[in-house]
Amino acid sequence: MKQGCVFAIALVLLFATVASAGDAALSDPRTMKFSPVEFSPPEPARLVLENGLVVYLLEDHELPLVSLSATIRTGGWLDPQDKIGLAGLTGSVMRTGGGGGLTAAQVDDELEQFAIDINMSMGRQSGASSLDVLSKDFARGLRIFAGLLRQPAFESARVELAKLQTIEGIRRRQDNPGSIVSREFVKQLYGPEHPTARESTIESVKGITRDDLIAFHQRTVYPNGIILGVTGDFKTEEMLALLRATFGDWKKGEVPELKIADAPETAGRSIVRFVNKETSQTHLRVGHLSIKEQDPDYVPLAIANDILGGSSFRSRLFNDVRTKRGLAYSVGSRLNVGVHDQGVWLMRAETKLPSTQEVISRFVVNMERMRTELVTDEELAEAKEAYVNSFVFSFASPSAIVGRFIELEYDGLPKDFLQQLRARVIALTKEDILAAAKKHFHSDRLTIVAVGPGEALPKLLSGFGDVKEIKLAPEG
Amino acid sequence: MKTTSTFDSGAAELIKMKIGTLLRASRVTTFLLALAFSLDLSLVLAGPSGLADRVIEHKLANGMTVLMVERHQAPVVSINMTFGVGGVNEQVGQTGLAHLYEHMAFKGTRTVGTKNYEKEKPILDELHRVGTELEQRQREFAKRSEDMPVDANEKTAIEKLQKRFKELQDQALQYVAGNEMALLYQRHGGVGLNASTGKDLTRYVISLPSNRLPLWAAIESDRMANPVLREFYKERGVVMEERRLRNDDSANGLLFETFTSAAFRAHQYGVPTIGWESDILSLTPAATEAFFKTYYGPGRATIGIVGDIDPKQVITLIENTFGKIPAAPPPPQIVTVEPPQRGERRVEVEFDAEHSLAIGFHKPALGHPDDYVFDVIDELLTDGPTSRLYSKLVRDGRLAASVHSDASYPGVRSANLFVLSATPLAPHTTAEVEAAILAELERLKMEPVSPKELERIVNNLDADMVRALRSNSGLASQLALYQTVAGDWRYVLKSRDKIAAVSPADIQRVATQYFTKSNRTVATLIKKPAEKQLATAAPREVIR
Repeated sequence: MKQGCVFAIALVLLFATVASAGDAALSDPRTMKFSPVEFSPPEPARLVLENGLVVYLLEDHELPLVSLSATIRTGGWLDPQDKIGLAGLTGSVMRTGGGGGLTAAQVDDELEQFAIDINMSMGRQSGASSLDVLSKDFARGLRIFAGLLRQPAFESARVELAKLQTIEGIRRRQDNPGSIVSREFVKQLYGPEHPTARESTIESVKGITRDDLIAFHQRTVYPNGIILGVTGDFKTEEMLALLRATFGDWKKGEVPELKIADAPETAGRSIVRFVNKETSQTHLRVGHLSIKEQDPDYVPLAIANDILGGSSFRSRLFNDVRTKRGLAYSVGSRLNVGVHDQGVWLMRAETKLPSTQEVISRFVVNMERMRTELVTDEELAEAKEAYVNSFVFSFASPSAIVGRFIELEYDGLPKDFLQQLRARVIALTKEDILAAAKKHFHSDRLTIVAVGPGEALPKLLSGFGDVKEIKLAPEG
Repeated sequence: MKTTSTFDSGAAELIKMKIGTLLRASRVTTFLLALAFSLDLSLVLAGPSGLADRVIEHKLANGMTVLMVERHQAPVVSINMTFGVGGVNEQVGQTGLAHLYEHMAFKGTRTVGTKNYEKEKPILDELHRVGTELEQRQREFAKRSEDMPVDANEKTAIEKLQKRFKELQDQALQYVAGNEMALLYQRHGGVGLNASTGKDLTRYVISLPSNRLPLWAAIESDRMANPVLREFYKERGVVMEERRLRNDDSANGLLFETFTSAAFRAHQYGVPTIGWESDILSLTPAATEAFFKTYYGPGRATIGIVGDIDPKQVITLIENTFGKIPAAPPPPQIVTVEPPQRGERRVEVEFDAEHSLAIGFHKPALGHPDDYVFDVIDELLTDGPTSRLYSKLVRDGRLAASVHSDASYPGVRSANLFVLSATPLAPHTTAEVEAAILAELERLKMEPVSPKELERIVNNLDADMVRALRSNSGLASQLALYQTVAGDWRYVLKSRDKIAAVSPADIQRVATQYFTKSNRTVATLIKKPAEKQLATAAPREVIR
């Protein structure tokens, strides 16, 4: 998943064989220099079956294992408003409810006996299934996997169990302050009905039937909406033949086009919301909606965020709020972007109640500095070097390589997207970063959400905008 | 095993669920891991090109151990540096010290992290003296003020000290090159920089482009020899926030802290690794430095290095850097042994969260023959959808939403606990779930386990071991871990055979011997809705 930080996906290819140990070892780590080395990661084969199923294949014979993943054009964004949670349940019961002629119990038994891992789930914007198996058992694993993917049985008892577990999860949603603040923040930004923010309820889950699951699967899971990736110990020609035999007769269908409407414009001023919970810390999120990944400002904004709070130890927020002031263990900022819906930019921390105001003030001050001052030469150089030198980790294993290609294709991005980003990072100037920060960090319309003791918070938060309480539904 | 980290890399919140999030159900057992000999897997692990032959071992004269595996898929390397020190080595009144030192280890050395050490040093020395005296007098003052009128002279003296403390802190700050060690790693493409502290071990990890190994060796040999405790009081504040986050405001954190301290009366395993609040707030620079000197000698360190390396060059590099650090005397032995439990212990903890449950039974440490039997029981009870407790309580009984077990909690080197934990499915209660779990434990005593169940466990262990070899960092971690806790990384190979040899009769015997009422500790989390009252946060945090 593209987490906005370029860094999660970053890399380039600087390497050499281990440098001569002797002299370098004695030198000062602050002045050490290393030669860059080109690393050309292996490129997977890409094929499209007649029915539209896309397949990426990359052999890797180090270990007797095969991993397969399927990325599916479905997801919770398709949930009807009165049945939120339908995609999630469909994904989970595809795995647990039997299929392909096997009962649920037979599937569980067979997978456990042969140490085969199969997972199936549906997120908000896609479905994900995976198979991980010793290569000697691959054909057996693939047979079961394909049965669950193509003809899930959705056994009633397993549907009921999944519903009960989901409902229990909803009952326990308000147990964890970190979970509360994350969810409420996103709901404030997009609105509670938006596909990116909306949540299932006990009522919506109760209303979902086995027939709904069957219909949702039939309506959304088609070969022409699936990208398969296979890595590991196999021969490409043999694998392709096996995949054709397994999926070749699967009929095309009408795949839903992933389109998510933008959230409505917000009020254009800062708002402050709090949730009352008896905690020792205030759990904070401060931020607003942001750009999409294909936006031309993405690279400079991502680097601005990196310097502000995205790069852990190296970032300003970490140094200011944690290192210098000792006010938080986990503090930073994130730019979470994708191509399908508006991104989110946020600053976050947990801090003891009495330092709540100080932490929010530091957020605002650091954000303003990004908007009004050029970053230093050092900061820019550090950000670029970190990006370029860690680029190789995006391609460090065959499954990472194939995963990148699949992600990019699913999002409709060019296959050299990362290399393009890298080139743009290298070319960035301090002025580019300032311009992006000025344009995309909005200190006059921040959304602040805090979870903590309700008696004290309103007073502590009152200096930052109009304070209102969010009353949580007592889920239990 | 429970650990606590320097940097919360897992804090990323998933605002949007997108592609690429193939969440794999992680196996509950983290500590059990065996290598395979069966079928063609034997070639992977013990065969001519298997793990047994791929691990290169090197011991330095100062006692440090290096374990290396070459993997040339990409020009990267993962390093895991594990020290045989942890919460068990702490003294009364100083809980949390091992973890605080781990945080301080990121503050640099006499060269890294400072703009001028010569000028910085005297300021730090005075700061630490003043800070220590200030805190002692503040504590004394707070204690006396409770039943006596305030001593105005003492109050003035404290305020003076406080002023001096702040001045010194500001002066010291001028010489700090903030987070320079981490910055160096990041500039050179390092990822996954972190450290963690557990009851038995403290671990420092990083992955780098492989030609940057000399940078790693320079930084790490320097911090093993010359650490400087700068920004001490601020970092102690950070650790306090970590405690609030993980233990005070977390239902599970609080449940397990309460559970563990009820189960152990004498042994240090009963103390939370992060430390008790009042102890953390009283830790001094002097105690922290003494802890380093006592426990961080090279003889306590094992380094796992896996990736694109030339082992001969790595050995030369390490000899030229770490090799110069003198050997240290062995640290004091841990003498405390937990006495046998003589009666069930039940504790409750109230928190604003739904009910949950933990049950523990005392059992022997790693290496004891019965320990392998517990590994099998662990898998049998909760690993996968066909496991006994999952199928009984979750799938069929619908009493619980989830159930887990851990065969070695909270550490492995000393006698520890077999733990079962579960969350009830409403409207069922923790009492019903507890009864159902205990009934399954009784069944282990009465009925022999089927050969098919045992075969399944071994199959899964073998496959998981092969999977563990996929990641450089995972393999580096396993090698350093077993070298440290078992004295030999080959434990992974040997334990697999021991586990495969466990018989149905062994399981019956062990269940009968250990799963008894008097050996049991039960903790339940009771829901207590938020009350309208002002939280009394951090009353004792006197220095900022």
